[in-house]
Amino acid sequence: MIELGIEEKTYTLNLGPQHPSTHGVLRVLLEMEGEYITKAEPVIGYGHRGHEHMAENRNYHQFLPNMARVDYLHALAYNQGYCMAVEKLLGITVPERAEYLRVILSEFNRISSHLVWIGAYLLDLGAFTPILYCFDDRENLLDLLDRITGSRLTYCFYRFGGVPLDLDDEFIAGARAFIKRLRTRFKDYNNLVTKNVIFINRTKGVGLISQEQCLKYGLTGPMVRGSGIPYDIRKSEPYSAYPAFDFEIPIGDKGDIMDRYLVRLREMEQSLRIIEQALDKLPNGPIMAEKVPKRVKPAEGEVYQAVETARGEFGCYIVSQGDVKPYRIKLRVPSFGNLSILPELAVDTLVADLVAILGSVDVVIPEIDR
Amino acid sequence: MLKDKLKKALAPLDLAQVADGDYAKTGYHLEVAARPEQMPAVAQAMLSQGCFLESLTAVDLRESFTLVYHFANFHELCRTVVHASLAKGAEAPTISQIYPGADWYEREVYDLFGIRFAGHPNLKRILLPEDADFHPLLKDFAAEAAND
Repeated sequence: MIELGIEEKTYTLNLGPQHPSTHGVLRVLLEMEGEYITKAEPVIGYGHRGHEHMAENRNYHQFLPNMARVDYLHALAYNQGYCMAVEKLLGITVPERAEYLRVILSEFNRISSHLVWIGAYLLDLGAFTPILYCFDDRENLLDLLDRITGSRLTYCFYRFGGVPLDLDDEFIAGARAFIKRLRTRFKDYNNLVTKNVIFINRTKGVGLISQEQCLKYGLTGPMVRGSGIPYDIRKSEPYSAYPAFDFEIPIGDKGDIMDRYLVRLREMEQSLRIIEQALDKLPNGPIMAEKVPKRVKPAEGEVYQAVETARGEFGCYIVSQGDVKPYRIKLRVPSFGNLSILPELAVDTLVADLVAILGSVDVVIPEIDR
Repeated sequence: MLKDKLKKALAPLDLAQVADGDYAKTGYHLEVAARPEQMPAVAQAMLSQGCFLESLTAVDLRESFTLVYHFANFHELCRTVVHASLAKGAEAPTISQIYPGADWYEREVYDLFGIRFAGHPNLKRILLPEDADFHPLLKDFAAEAAND
């Protein structure tokens, strides 16, 4: 082209798969015109492990540890979604105390996931300090969860019919201390991040998502709530012990990155409220349902169970044909739908803005790839 | 109520089944059975009632496939499942022009089951490598064979 004296106008830029801002192995093929993006195509699947195929080769119990490997940041919600789906299939009712324990632990896990997001996202935008604060807080949480579940990241704690271990006094004392601590830290986050002028300029009015786009792309989680739709499975389709607690669903109004950030920040406060109420009202009683069959062999049928994870709706779809192995399990993961809107959002933005938009989706790549 | 509105919107489409679901047992408020070629019309009707596409997947029943579409609503709880039986080797029409979010879901179904969606703008593999020559969620697929 240059020989002919014609300037080549567009070129292709390869973002990832090993790029720090893609949070794992995501590749985005960009077609650029000067500094601006004309077309963006996410290339996913680098972390595909075939979880859905694995499900068909093992029994219901054996598939349980896989759930934590789907979304490693909010593993307990995936534990819960899968357990609830199987419980529905078997017709097991979980005791109240076990539901409370599940709520407490899942909400702590949600907070730890949001803390990672805030830290890593600000790192994407070039701010190094917040991640040190976030990981400091998160470390406390991981110690707490480690104490009761035995692991720091890939939790596999819930069982069909309840939970295997009860909380002890030390955990409850630690939980209350953490709630107190994190509440004092929100002031720091606001001073450090929310009021930071560089952060405001990078996020206000960028990556706008309309309510119509939410509908057409099937977005869920903070992506829709940032755009002003109060859709949260914990309220919209109440499950577990959530109806017993008083909490709000934070929503934004414009649907830009700032709104999504604020939604997540305020969600952590709401999670603390839920945990506090759960600790106060913790009922006595068994933590495991009676008569849970040792050999899980549900009758023929299918079931769909949705739960709210830190990123949106996780739906567990199980088809049983009366065998000890599931006939088919489909994991409807939130990030898959949430990321599919990226090509539309990326057009006519700068690469630096694309990094900001991509981060605001809060993608966990292994969850998309499964 | 949304469920009644949906039934009304689906009524003119001459579907094989539009019935109340047993929510406590299956998680569905409305169970619908359709033929694959009716899916664009069904999707259009669901969109007109403000429902979003929650998930789109398939089940390999050996003799045939079943396409499974889940729809939900942001404002009112009403999960609708649509089952569409598809003969082996047959194509289903895409609904990605109605729900752009279906684009990736259909690519995933193509990738894992080899089901083709007629009219899809960019039907190629999404999770597996581009040069893979198998569809892993088919019941006659054996993982060992793919490793050779």
